[in-house]
Amino acid sequence: MIRPAAGARFASGDAVRVLDTEKEGHHIRTPDYAKGKPGWIAQILGSFPNPESLAYGGDGLPEKPLYKVGFRQSDLWDSYEGSSEDILFIDIYEHWLESRKHGGEEK
Amino acid sequence: MKKAHDVGGRREDFGPIDRSDHEIEDWERLADAVNYVLNAKGHKTTDEMRRAIESLDEYKEMSYYERWAAAAELLVVEKGLLTKEEIDARAAELERRWGGA
Amino acid sequence: MSEHGHEYAHEEPRHERSSWATRIRAVEELLAEKGVFTKEEVRAQVEYMEARSYKNGARLVARAWVDPAFKERLLSDTKAAAAELGIDASGPVEFLTVENTDEVHNVIVCTLCSCYPRAILGRPPDWYKSSAYRSRVVVEPRKVLGEFGLELAEDKRIVVHDSSADLRYLVLPQRPEGTEGMGEDELATLVTRDSLIGADTPRVEAAYEPF
Repeated sequence: MIRPAAGARFASGDAVRVLDTEKEGHHIRTPDYAKGKPGWIAQILGSFPNPESLAYGGDGLPEKPLYKVGFRQSDLWDSYEGSSEDILFIDIYEHWLESRKHGGEEK
Repeated sequence: MKKAHDVGGRREDFGPIDRSDHEIEDWERLADAVNYVLNAKGHKTTDEMRRAIESLDEYKEMSYYERWAAAAELLVVEKGLLTKEEIDARAAELERRWGGA
Repeated sequence: MSEHGHEYAHEEPRHERSSWATRIRAVEELLAEKGVFTKEEVRAQVEYMEARSYKNGARLVARAWVDPAFKERLLSDTKAAAAELGIDASGPVEFLTVENTDEVHNVIVCTLCSCYPRAILGRPPDWYKSSAYRSRVVVEPRKVLGEFGLELAEDKRIVVHDSSADLRYLVLPQRPEGTEGMGEDELATLVTRDSLIGADTPRVEAAYEPF
């Protein structure tokens, strides 16, 4: 953890999925290529002001927990040509993530 | 939000990477510095700057620092620090002053 | 033209007489006249950026190579470790240094814009900011690195970091073979700008300009 993240929903190791929503007219920091994709929480980075609010002159509050989310490259791309061990990390805000665990079973 | 900036994975759109470095020009250093000083003084945030850059219709046709200059201008006008007319007038005067040289 | 009948997107057009060059000067003059800032403040910022270069990163790496305790501090709190070497990286962004190992090679990108540890390394290379790099390195990193002349062992895991939010990343490359006798200053000369991004690795025969 680089900054405190009180009330963070997810813990290291949690299986998550990036939400697949469109926010037309909004500034977001979740890249398209990650939307809907399954990953895991690699690290809780801390809580930071919400860029979606800051981008339009807002105060960015409440701060949002930010996570380093790991993805297998083979889960991100249809025809990934590299090793099945290759990984990609993206720093994603909590409100863009949902749990993949449901009743103890990963979705 | 226009998506010209969200390029991750769109490899079919882009070819070889140009690895040459161009010597940064003075006006580009200025665009860089004006951006940071406005941030430091609390007139705008990095997030607003990114949003402004992303909103540029000509994102793909502009160079990196042209986008910064355009976005900084957009924001100072948005925040009422300057008007576009003032900037247009001063830019025209500078062109005259320098005689286009 | 590509075979699909459309040009590759323009990359960094070089406009010698860009209208934006004149306009940013107009903006600066006007804002200074209105007291939003002073020209001196702008000049000081220009100097601040000029003083920053990848050599700050090279010093951090060289110190980490010779001092394991410093290396741990660099990995756990890059901002504080930089301050130890007199590198002022204070500010609202955070930093994370990721370590290359025998098993893992790291490479950094900001697909959405050009986030880069500027407070430590100065300005990023033009290629780092290019749409071509940003789009391709996430989906075909090994191929992109190959174009940079970096051929990694087939069993090496490639890890890409998309610095999409408030963190800025540096790569801690591995210390090359054959450097056992070298002091810290000499080691620093082996660390290239591109190796701090993960597009290169330090090599003994590739020593760059003297410190």
